[in-house]
Amino acid sequence: MDTAISTERHGAHASLAAVGFFDLAHAAAVLRAVEDAPSQLRGCEHVDVDLTQLVRIDGTGAVMLARLLDRLDHDGLQARLAEDRNPEAVRLIALYRSRRTDVPLRSAGAAGVLTRLGAAIATLPGTARGALDFTGRCAAAVPKTIASPPSVNWGSLPMLIQSIGADAWLVTSAANLLVGLIIGFIGVSQLGRFGATSYVPELVVVTHFRELGALITAIIVAGRSGAGLASEIATMKVSEEIDALRSIGFDPVRWLVVPRCLALVIVLPILTWIGDVFALGGALIATTTMTDMPIRMYLTATAGAITGTNFLAGLIKSPFLALAIGIVACGQGLATQGGAAAVGDRTTTAVVLSIFSVIAINAVFTLLFVVIGV
Amino acid sequence: MAGDRPHIIVEDLRVAWGARVVLDRVSFQIERGITFAILGGSGCGKSTLLRYLIGLEQPQGGRIDIDGVGEPHRYEGIPPFGVLFQSGALFSSMTVEENLALPLTTWTSLRGPIVHDLVHAKLDLVGLGPFARHLPGEISGGMKKRAGIGRALMLEPDLLFFDEPSAGLDPITAVELDHLIVSLSRDLGITVVIVTHELPSIFLVAENCIVLDKEAKGIVATGPPARLREETTIPFVHNFFTRSSPSAPATGGR
Repeated sequence: MDTAISTERHGAHASLAAVGFFDLAHAAAVLRAVEDAPSQLRGCEHVDVDLTQLVRIDGTGAVMLARLLDRLDHDGLQARLAEDRNPEAVRLIALYRSRRTDVPLRSAGAAGVLTRLGAAIATLPGTARGALDFTGRCAAAVPKTIASPPSVNWGSLPMLIQSIGADAWLVTSAANLLVGLIIGFIGVSQLGRFGATSYVPELVVVTHFRELGALITAIIVAGRSGAGLASEIATMKVSEEIDALRSIGFDPVRWLVVPRCLALVIVLPILTWIGDVFALGGALIATTTMTDMPIRMYLTATAGAITGTNFLAGLIKSPFLALAIGIVACGQGLATQGGAAAVGDRTTTAVVLSIFSVIAINAVFTLLFVVIGV
Repeated sequence: MAGDRPHIIVEDLRVAWGARVVLDRVSFQIERGITFAILGGSGCGKSTLLRYLIGLEQPQGGRIDIDGVGEPHRYEGIPPFGVLFQSGALFSSMTVEENLALPLTTWTSLRGPIVHDLVHAKLDLVGLGPFARHLPGEISGGMKKRAGIGRALMLEPDLLFFDEPSAGLDPITAVELDHLIVSLSRDLGITVVIVTHELPSIFLVAENCIVLDKEAKGIVATGPPARLREETTIPFVHNFFTRSSPSAPATGGR
């Protein structure tokens, strides 16, 4: 039996019969029938509605028939349901009609590009203010920590150093090895044009020790550990663990952020130094493979290039890069509101902002070194 | 006839986590159109049993049949039941309206104003009409559960599962939710299966029940809750329904 609404007209009076399956499985057919019905009743004043030919009706069918009846009422037709014929269907339709509250359909138009751009720019001052506010709270936490050491979760420090440092050295070292390899290959190919491959060891030391070592290591740590820190704290935020900490009298910045920043400050210079060694190894492989430079000669040239300035210029940036990663990641986590989607969004933002921050801080240091002649 | 066949049949169900047996040789039937409670103390396997009934886990033994369409964990396509999880389990990145629309737009070709109408009809049914455009984080726990019920109803199931519907609610909100469950069962003719240990809800909502016991790893009593409370001779069941404990000190008024 097809799903349909049949109508018969006798002057100003009409009868309307719902036939077949008025349920979710036949929703499309029901919708078509319901939308076509009013046009067949134009000019009528009374309509008798017969539901005895319904094979099945559920909530979906009842809602659509209820809407039809509302529409007929709105059009001025007096629609009458025969309640003693198929009382279950009548009851179901009456249930949905009696509970109806009218909520207008929201327009589906999407905001234009300019509107969205304007909305995003409008949030920038608030975002910047929030970031500065959180950075200030972190700075204020330092003297408070000194004054009240038990307000920090020192017990978590070893585990943090393990997870941020010991568990990460392999990936940061591998990344630096590959970067050293790349610098070696490029150095040999470019300096070799001028017969100056003997300067490749110095090139590697200057570029990697001063710049790339700290930067590459910080970027890897930002992506790996920064994401982990942000998502951990964000999850704590949405599950009310941060509120619980505050209700016990703990300051979340001192309890959570201080040990994480401290772990990063301790670990990042060590990872950077280890990464520098692996980069030297990568460049050694590249140079001695592509040229006839003996390994001993390469190592002697490298040792000569590793001056105190070159060595420290990179390492001195590491604590600042570590603080940037820690403050951004923890700040994003503490700013999370909502549920699972918000945790993901904040984690992504933490990684992007951390990476951008370490690049920006590295650029500032480079400029500073150039200005002061280091 | 389908109407005479029990809605749910469980035979010799065995549930184990590795070597630890949680439920063993559990058998019961749930008739069509009634409200049925799965009761028991904490850790007896009520919520675990529910997970198996809705097909989230595959039993280690025995058989579950819902409406004669086979084992729940093998279902593909539109589920023949709706589920309200304990905390509502609304998708936090979607509004209440979008949460309810999701099953409809996933499993039917309906779009546009009719989806809006069907969603709002269900929201009106559960008393959340004005809150359609709120995010789950912006509504109370009781409202989340109502929204979860609305979403569970969107595909017009004739079977609903509720996991601890009153958990975390104040007494007034809890009894309002109980009345909503009763009215849905009565007005829509839906079979309702509730996992709970809230005594007021049990006596208000359930027409029949089973009582699980952790020690027995299975059912220790079956029947209407009021009759079990009055007639049972099993100490655990008596203590459960009278809210008494053999180890609790006697309390007296001051």
